[in-house]
Amino acid sequence: MPARIIWLLVTVALIAGAFGATALFVGGDRRVLLIGATTDAHHQLEMSCETCHGTTAFADAVAAEQAVNKACRNCHEDELDDADDSHPRREFRNPRMAVYWEKLDARLCTTCHIEHRPEITLAGAVTLPLDFCSACHSEGDQDVRAHRPSHAAATFDTCASAGCHNFHDNRALYEDFLVKHADEPWLAASPIHGLSALGRGQGAPAEVALTRDDAVAPANALAAPGILDDWSGSGHAAADVNCGGCHATGGDGNTGTVEANWIETPSLAVCEDCHRPQTRTLALGRHGMRQHPKIAQPRDPRRGLSSLGLEGLVPDAVADWLSDPVLPLRMTVAEARLPMKPDAVHRSLHCGSCHAPHSADTRHAAVEACSSCHDDPHTRAYFESAHYELWRNELAGTAPPGAGVSCATCHMTKTEQRGRVVTSHNQNDSLRPNERMIRPVCLDCHSLQFSLDALADVPLIEANFTDRPKIHVESIDWAVSRTRDQAVTDG
Amino acid sequence: MLTFTEEMLLLLGDEQGTFLPVRQYALECALAGAVLLDLAFAYRIDTDLESLVVTDPNPTGISFLDRVLAKVVARKDTADTQAWIRSLSEDDVEAIREAALTALVTKGVLAKREDRFLRLLRSVRYPTIDHGVVERIKKRLADVLSDEIPDARDVALLSLVDACDILPDLFPDRELQEERHRIAQLRRMDLIGREVAGTIAEIQRTIIQAARAEAARFGKLRLVLSGVAVGAVVATLVAPRVPIPDSFGPSILRNLWFDGTWQEWSGYVLLGLSLLGLSIAVTVKKRLVVRVARSHPWRLTHFVLGVSCLVALFAHTGFRFGANLNALLMGCYLVVVFSGALSEVALRVASGVQLVGLGTPGKRRRALIRLHVVALCPLPALLVVHILTAYSF
Repeated sequence: MPARIIWLLVTVALIAGAFGATALFVGGDRRVLLIGATTDAHHQLEMSCETCHGTTAFADAVAAEQAVNKACRNCHEDELDDADDSHPRREFRNPRMAVYWEKLDARLCTTCHIEHRPEITLAGAVTLPLDFCSACHSEGDQDVRAHRPSHAAATFDTCASAGCHNFHDNRALYEDFLVKHADEPWLAASPIHGLSALGRGQGAPAEVALTRDDAVAPANALAAPGILDDWSGSGHAAADVNCGGCHATGGDGNTGTVEANWIETPSLAVCEDCHRPQTRTLALGRHGMRQHPKIAQPRDPRRGLSSLGLEGLVPDAVADWLSDPVLPLRMTVAEARLPMKPDAVHRSLHCGSCHAPHSADTRHAAVEACSSCHDDPHTRAYFESAHYELWRNELAGTAPPGAGVSCATCHMTKTEQRGRVVTSHNQNDSLRPNERMIRPVCLDCHSLQFSLDALADVPLIEANFTDRPKIHVESIDWAVSRTRDQAVTDG
Repeated sequence: MLTFTEEMLLLLGDEQGTFLPVRQYALECALAGAVLLDLAFAYRIDTDLESLVVTDPNPTGISFLDRVLAKVVARKDTADTQAWIRSLSEDDVEAIREAALTALVTKGVLAKREDRFLRLLRSVRYPTIDHGVVERIKKRLADVLSDEIPDARDVALLSLVDACDILPDLFPDRELQEERHRIAQLRRMDLIGREVAGTIAEIQRTIIQAARAEAARFGKLRLVLSGVAVGAVVATLVAPRVPIPDSFGPSILRNLWFDGTWQEWSGYVLLGLSLLGLSIAVTVKKRLVVRVARSHPWRLTHFVLGVSCLVALFAHTGFRFGANLNALLMGCYLVVVFSGALSEVALRVASGVQLVGLGTPGKRRRALIRLHVVALCPLPALLVVHILTAYSF
């Protein structure tokens, strides 16, 4: 083969390689350099490598690993604290725990969770073999098989089986809790989700509620059909939020000021300004994680050029062309890895995706908004479930508030803060692992045993609990038995 | 008048001054045999079944023939023709080749052109400038293949050419399969009484034997290595991956495939083996080192390195393609290994198989070698970006 052809091919390849190197060190889309598929949710951040990789190129490997671990904690540390983490990092940083560092270094998230390794990534983004508990719990004082007869025949790959143990969050799985909730009937006598019921009942005092006549807006806006009706029946009107509250912020609310400052389409910042807990929690879940404050900004290509000694040698237009792609602030439905409806793929996720801005109808956001995009078996089966039947009854007034179970009941957990019910907009808060749903949701109506069984039954979850569980999790039996044996031993 | 050695080199060369892809062992044995034939036709040596003896120690006046004649004269013990061919093909054939090429340049048949391979490494080409000489040699061979009464010298040349298996390249339009009987008949001709007292037949027979011995010595091993490489690449594409150990604890495979330090080591070992294999191939192909006439061990080393690369690749990747750029890199690498290995398999196993539309075994091999080289071209860039990426995150 003629040398000139070889030269040509090598040169073309080197030019392409130079583009790759430029993307690495200056700017540009680096997704082509990804060594493996990113885990679900994190895939939304693929364009923003620096969010996780906080060190510069050729940094010391230890420093690079520490930077990645810091990035993990940036987003996940609060939820681990909330989960009363069973293996907290601070505990393992104690030098007394040094003996365990060699076995399984629990100080580092990356010991168990390595990104871009789809071939070894298990549920929960765990990249260790399932029997990793054996690292510390198979010998000495920590040998569970020696100290718990019920576990003598158990293998370590079953520790994390649904309903038994989680590495981090065991709030619904610790022994005292299991014993306390043994022997409960599978369904409560009056199954009501307490916080949902409380939330339905709360609202602004009736005397501050605005009516149609109170609306202050330009005449053409007031004339728009249906808007006044929606607004006057909404939570906004009930809470004394007039049109200017969103469309003309900063003014005194008088007609002249409102008309002067009127914005036809307010930005989402207006929503976020008042609904801060919702905004904060939205950024913790998959729907809004791109708005998390710790997401890295695109690199400045001029800085990269400067570090290579090329500052001023590259025209501005070229430097601009080398810029990183901007991470879209909102996730689009098309980027989802769960099955979605084809007609929804063009949508992006923001407040208005679920909440109609004028009606502010949370009932729509609780079910229809979800099903307008999600198209998986679990979602489709919901409409055949007893949960949905109860939801319809509640909406129809034939069931009490809190009796219905919507998508939001399970997936957008509620907390009571200073007497008010606040809905977390982190849709993952009650998942990953799904036993996290037990305490804030399931136990209000069902027994712990029933909840554990149901959440361990994957086909039943897919069928959206349209049947009784066919799996029996033995953790309560074992805990009760052990407690009974200890009582006998203690005399 | 040209010597056998010169005529053989002319027939092996092409217009660009590179040589037809002849099996190296055949070329070396044919050149060694050509020198002995030249000496026999010059009545300097005689042979029988057990020995090759000098009948006239006086120089022929042709430097490279006289060097070989002096060597034969100087040898105290008796050796048969096969031993001499093996000896000359191992130790002298490169010098013979260079001297014969220089003689052809001096006679104005060839020109000498020095090039820089990839502008870095020096290589020498000998393009033909007097095409009439070559055409006349070819015509003589064509005449021998026809039913005319052959000249003993032309029969000898035909035997050498046939030993190198270049008749299909010299006469692409002829149905040589149909002329096989004639060629075999010519090679069996009893020339002893009429021409050179048995030397030619013995040398012809010995060339074939020596070539086959060389082929047996290195060819089987190369074929086995090629088969292993082809099998490994096919397995990478179609076989299930080697499972990743799914129990906690020390695991070499997990370390190999997922531990950064182990990956770094296996990666650099793979890079080193690849560069070594590449440099050997370039060295042999372009004759960049003066003494690489004994190319069999070098070629075998190239094949051993190829298979070693596959072992290192398995250690580095577990034969998993990865994603994006890594997948492209892996794909290119496998194409390089597969095409190189398959070219050897195609030459040896499928040389007798006529595949419709895929040309002769020689053409198939050349096409695979071309693919081998083309797939190599993007590797430097891909490797650089791969390594930079590894150190950037």
